[in-house]
Amino acid sequence: MAAPDELFCWEGDWGLPSVSTDCLVVLAYAQFAGAPLKLKKMSNPWRSPSGLLPTLRTNQKENLTRPSDIIIHLRKQKYNADLDLSAKEGADSLAFISLLEEKLKPALIYTFWVEPKNYVDVTRRWYADHMPFPLNFFLPGQMQRGQLERLRLLRGDESLESGEELEKELYRDATECLNLLSQRLGSHKFFFGDTPSSLDAFVFGHLAPVLRSKLPNGKLQQHLKTLENLSSFCSNVLLLYFPRDGREGGGLKASSPPPPPEGGDFDHVPNKRRKQVLSALAALGAMLSYALLTGMVSIQQEALEEPPDPEPIGGEGEAGEEIH
Amino acid sequence: MTLVAEAFVSQMAAAEPWPESATLYQPLKEDQILLSDCASSLAVQAYLRMCGLPVQVVCRANAEYMSPSGKIPFIHVGNQVVSELGPIVQFTKAKGNSLSDGLDDIQRAEMKAYMELVNNMLLTAELYIQWCDDATAAEISRPRYSSPYSWPLSNILAYQKQWEVRRKMNAVGWGGKTLEQVYEDVNQCCQALSQRLGTQPYFFNKQPTELDALVFGHLFTILTTRLTSTELAERIKSYSNLLSFCRRIEQTYFEDKKNSLKSSMILLINV
Repeated sequence: MAAPDELFCWEGDWGLPSVSTDCLVVLAYAQFAGAPLKLKKMSNPWRSPSGLLPTLRTNQKENLTRPSDIIIHLRKQKYNADLDLSAKEGADSLAFISLLEEKLKPALIYTFWVEPKNYVDVTRRWYADHMPFPLNFFLPGQMQRGQLERLRLLRGDESLESGEELEKELYRDATECLNLLSQRLGSHKFFFGDTPSSLDAFVFGHLAPVLRSKLPNGKLQQHLKTLENLSSFCSNVLLLYFPRDGREGGGLKASSPPPPPEGGDFDHVPNKRRKQVLSALAALGAMLSYALLTGMVSIQQEALEEPPDPEPIGGEGEAGEEIH
Repeated sequence: MTLVAEAFVSQMAAAEPWPESATLYQPLKEDQILLSDCASSLAVQAYLRMCGLPVQVVCRANAEYMSPSGKIPFIHVGNQVVSELGPIVQFTKAKGNSLSDGLDDIQRAEMKAYMELVNNMLLTAELYIQWCDDATAAEISRPRYSSPYSWPLSNILAYQKQWEVRRKMNAVGWGGKTLEQVYEDVNQCCQALSQRLGTQPYFFNKQPTELDALVFGHLFTILTTRLTSTELAERIKSYSNLLSFCRRIEQTYFEDKKNSLKSSMILLINV
C-alpha cells in the first residue's frame, strides 16, 4: 500500500485539533472520509514544504495548499465523504459552501485579524507565543497585513478602516449567513442525513474557532452561541471525530502553555525548552562580549618563548612614580 | 452601502412609488462593456422586468465611476442611486415589490446560497477569463475597457484594472488556477444549477425570483458573447434545461425589446 500523504498544519488549542480554519476543514474532511494522513502539527509555517499551512504533500511530491484542492485530491484517491449524497444535495453543498466563503469568511477575518482588541489579545498573542524565535517578532504582523489585504480585495473597497460601520456591515452579513445555516441544519445531526459530508467539514472549520476561542470582543461568538443547533453540531463533530483534542484544555486559560504531547501521532516541537536554552546562551554571550570589550576581563597569552622584558624595573619604577 | 445610509434609503424608498423616469446606467454597449459587467447589468434588467418595474437603459462611458460602489450596474430612481443586484433587490422590496415573499425559510436559505454560488463561481470565472487569461486580456478586455479614452490614459486604466483583478484572484485563491481548472469549475457550477432547476420552469417552481434573474443574466451573456474561444459557451450548452430556461425567460420578459437583444437572439437560435 502506498505511504499515506503528509499533512502539515497549525497546532491546536482551545480544545480544537487546529486553530486555523483551513486546517480544520482538511482535518475534518479526512476524518469523515477515513483518509489516513500523516499529521505534522507545527507552528512554524516556514518549515512546511510550501511555506504555507495547511499543506498536503502527496506521494508524487506535489504540494497542495487550498482546502478545495486537497479535498479533490483525497476524492481521487477514493476517500470520498460525499458518496451518499444525491445530485441535488451535492449541488446544495456547493451553494452553501459558496455562501460561507462570501458572507461568513470576511467577518471571520475581521473578528480575528482586524478588530484591535481581538487581534492583540488573542490572535497575535497566540501566534507570538507559539512561533519559534525569531519568527514571532515579524510573522504575525506579516500575516495580519496579508489578511487585511485579502479582506480589502474580497470586498472590493478602496480603503478599509476598522470602524463601527465596517464591523456592523460584516457582522450583519455573517449573522444572516449563520441564521440561514441554522435553518438549513434544522434538528438534523449533520447537514445531509446521518453521515457527515464536505459541507459539514467546511461549516465545522469556519465555526469551531469562533465558538471555542475566548474573544474579548465577541459579538459574532455570542450570536453563534444563541444558535443552539450549530453549537451542538460543532461539539458533536469534536466529540465523535476528535475525541483526544476535545478532552484537553477546554479553552479556559488564554495564556496557558500548550497541552503536553499525546503519544506518537503528533510531532510536538519542544520550543519552550529550546527558547530557554537559546535565551540563556544569548545572555551569556552578551555578558561575555561586553566584559571583553570593556577590558574588565582580558585574555593574556602566556608567551613562554619570548625573552623577558628588557626594563622591567624601570617600568615598575615609573609606574610607582606616577601613582605617587 | 453603509447601514445608516441603507436605513435612510429604505425609508425614503417606501415613501414614493416607482417613477417612470427610472434609469439604469451601464458602460457603452457596443464598444466598452465587458462580459462580467454585461452579465450583472442583464441580471438587474431581468429582475426589474420580472417585478414589472419600467426602467430605461442608458449607456455612459464613465458609468463605473458614477456608481456609488464602483460596480456596474446602478439605477437612478427618483433622487436615489443604488448599485448592484443585492441592494437593488432590497430597495425594490422597500417599495413593496418582492419576488421572494412566497418562499419559506428553507427555500429562502437555498435561494441566497445559490445566488452566492453564482457570484462566487460564475462571476469569478468570468473575471478570471477576461483579465487573467493573457490572450483574452490582450485581444478583448484591455482594448474594450479603454476604448473611450485616448493614449496614454487608456493604457494606464486598462493595466490598473488588470492588476486589481489579478490581485483579487490571488486573494480568493484563484490565482494559481489554470484555464482548464476554471472551465471545470464553471462546469461544476452549471451542473449544480442544472440539478437544482431539474424540469421546473423556474428555480422555485412557478414564479421567478431574483435567483432566476441572476442565473439568466450570466448564462445568457456567456452564451451570446464572442470570446477568444467558445469553450465556456460549450460547457453551458451541454445542459439542455439551462438553455431552455434562458430561452423561456428571454421570450417571456424581453420580447418587446427585440432590437436590443437582436444580435443575441440570432446567436441563440443557432445553438
